[in-house]
Amino acid sequence: MANTFKVKVNGGPELAVDATEGTLLEALEKHQLEMHYHCRSGFCGACRSTLKSGTVRYTTEPLAYVRKGDILPCCCVPESDLDIEH
Amino acid sequence: MSYSTFNQEQNNPLTEPMFLGNSVNVARYDQQKHSIFEKLIEKQISFFWRPEEIDVSRDRIDFNKLTASEKHVFISNLKYQTLLDSIQGRSPNIALLPIVSLPELETWIETWSFFETIHSRSYTHILRNLFSDPSEVFEDIVINEQIKIRANDISKYYDDLIFYTQLLQTHGEGDVVVDGKTHTVTQREIKKKLFLCINSVNALEAIRFYVSFACTFAFAERELMEGNAKIIKLIARDENVHLTSTQHILNLWQYGEDDPEMKEIAEELRDEAYEIFMTAVKQEKQWAHYLFKDGSMIGLNESMLCQYVEYIANLRMQAIGFDAPFENQRSNPLPWMNKYLVSDNVQVAPQESEITSYLVGQIDSEVNASDLGDFDL
Repeated sequence: MANTFKVKVNGGPELAVDATEGTLLEALEKHQLEMHYHCRSGFCGACRSTLKSGTVRYTTEPLAYVRKGDILPCCCVPESDLDIEH
Repeated sequence: MSYSTFNQEQNNPLTEPMFLGNSVNVARYDQQKHSIFEKLIEKQISFFWRPEEIDVSRDRIDFNKLTASEKHVFISNLKYQTLLDSIQGRSPNIALLPIVSLPELETWIETWSFFETIHSRSYTHILRNLFSDPSEVFEDIVINEQIKIRANDISKYYDDLIFYTQLLQTHGEGDVVVDGKTHTVTQREIKKKLFLCINSVNALEAIRFYVSFACTFAFAERELMEGNAKIIKLIARDENVHLTSTQHILNLWQYGEDDPEMKEIAEELRDEAYEIFMTAVKQEKQWAHYLFKDGSMIGLNESMLCQYVEYIANLRMQAIGFDAPFENQRSNPLPWMNKYLVSDNVQVAPQESEITSYLVGQIDSEVNASDLGDFDL
């Protein structure tokens, strides 16, 4: 289970996310979280979230401006346990 | 000072600011200061589409079945979209090309504006199908008070920037008297106008447009006016790219990754920029009130649309470093909107699309004997 990480969203419970199964956005949707999104391809930036701790890896290069401390869940996967504000 | 279409001065575009440095000479893309703009060009071109590819013929039947208040919402919304794209099809070119200093950004602006002209042509495509003579609809755009209020607020930042750029490029810096009025022209003053203009453009493309998209897709949710919705889906996908480009410009300035003077201006005019967004929100709410003055429609009413304005404003303002101003509107009041905004769902070929306007024959061809009851020879 080396690819499974614990992801905490908005201070909620820790959710298990498998980095080999789709994007972070898809994984959090599977956990029934209401996610903000439009394009789901990294160019509109609507899913922008704050990364409080942890690291992510982009599977598609984001075209939206990613401000310092932000991540785009629609085109990344976790590389470690995460704590995010969405 | 005057603009040259081929600046003979040997300059290094890698050290130029995005705007108001040396004007661009060689359109070269082998080296780029902000390579993001070329990536946006590639993305945008990969989305190329033509309005004529989309069959809107069923919409006329749907339109005739709408109630009077629904027709008002549909047509007013289309008029507003026509206004927004009339402005966007020309203004980035006129306002920004004379002062742009990077080849990749110059080409992005041209690509961006060109796509807005596709949007404008698609409104004519939609209206021609709905009315034998769409003139009345187009003519009302410059008469309708509700639309004029918006038009003025959107175009004034562009117009101001264009005018001062013209003064700078004809007279240079200093006081210039035009029609008895003195204008103090300085490079810094123009940079301020540019900053406000880009904020206003972002508010237009990232907030105002989405309010209009919500109205379009509310009809599609009821399987009405689907040809129109298919076109607006393509427009929305393009606008997703456009709003990202102005967010890039604003963030590059703010983080000091471009012109240091623009970083100062971004700090100095932060409150004014905030007000531009808040005014846009207020006007969109007034517009929602006007749209639903004669009654709401199934799936959408004034208060839901106003909540969506606040929701979308939160997302957009956070993207350029403001705190979300509407704390109570953090969840999406129109969750169905998202399925129309997902870029992968946008398909041009009718057989690939889930929208039902692709039906062979398009018209109900079933005939019963009762249909001929009042028919005599």
